[in-house]
Amino acid sequence: MGLSLAYWVVLLLFGMGLYCILTESNLIKIAVGINVMEAGLLLFLVRLSYSPGDLAPLMGPTTGPGIADPIPHALTLTAIVIAASTTALMLSLIIQIYRHYGTVDIEEIRSKMQ
Amino acid sequence: MRLRKIAAAILILVLTLALVGAIAELPSPDERVSQSALTQRIIGKGVVETGATNLVAAVLFDYRAFDTLGEATVIFAAVAGVVLMFYHAPLHPSAIGLSILAKRSLDVIGPFVFVAGMYIVVYGHISPGGGFQGGVILATLTILISIVYGLQEERRLLDPRFKTALESSAALLFMTVAFVGVFSGEYFLSNLGAGFFRGHPGSVLSGGAIPLLNVAIGLKVGAGLALVFYSMVKKEPE
Repeated sequence: MGLSLAYWVVLLLFGMGLYCILTESNLIKIAVGINVMEAGLLLFLVRLSYSPGDLAPLMGPTTGPGIADPIPHALTLTAIVIAASTTALMLSLIIQIYRHYGTVDIEEIRSKMQ
Repeated sequence: MRLRKIAAAILILVLTLALVGAIAELPSPDERVSQSALTQRIIGKGVVETGATNLVAAVLFDYRAFDTLGEATVIFAAVAGVVLMFYHAPLHPSAIGLSILAKRSLDVIGPFVFVAGMYIVVYGHISPGGGFQGGVILATLTILISIVYGLQEERRLLDPRFKTALESSAALLFMTVAFVGVFSGEYFLSNLGAGFFRGHPGSVLSGGAIPLLNVAIGLKVGAGLALVFYSMVKKEPE
């Protein structure tokens, strides 16, 4: 396949994160899986906006061609901030679940709920 | 359990194959992608129109500053949610911190961490960095203090109410800068058009409102994340 390495890393991270979410029963590990998936997605956004030889969008005294598109970079920054916010809320909810049920395993929580 | 793992693995394999096909449709990495008119405009005129040499900061705090206001609101909502969730958990009294070696080491590196955070906030419009990144470093400092000196000491140094006030006043600073644009006859969150100091692009005092907004976001993110950590590590009494 002619995909560049970055895309393979994106697919690996995304697949690993999704596998973790689908198979793990520990809530903390599910949160980690979501974050790994997000990392893959952010790498995808940054890679999409980049052509080989592009420079970072920092303008010096001389501005030449081949500057990377700054808009996806700003969008990625937004996505990182939202990801951090949702992770904070996720972990807080997990802490509260642990205090209430004494475990973070979803199978055990399910059996305790009945 | 085993069946679920196999099913998940097959599902992900199929999904990955589909994604490989989708990515192969994208422009190949060898040919240059032609940039959109918007991108060409920002790269060509960004420095003249905003006064910031870091074009990502120019996009974040000038062209799409309204977006950043929404982003700050998301952080505010997340911090409010976390603080609310742990509101009734009182402080655990037995947080005494680490050994004297760790405490003295933090005394040495603490000011440098603070300077690094402030540097990234204040230089956000001319070099990589900005309010979000610098704010996270500032929050790291409070996390270090609560681990090394214990939560009681951190609470004595930086009262949670002080952090709340800091976060709210940073949000107010952002809104004040935003409304300067309205009252000067320009639009909401207008930058150089509203008469902010342009300066010489590339120097610290340049870029109009962008450094001000960077400082506001830096304080907001720093105080907000410090509050999140403080709320999370507060323990209920045994």
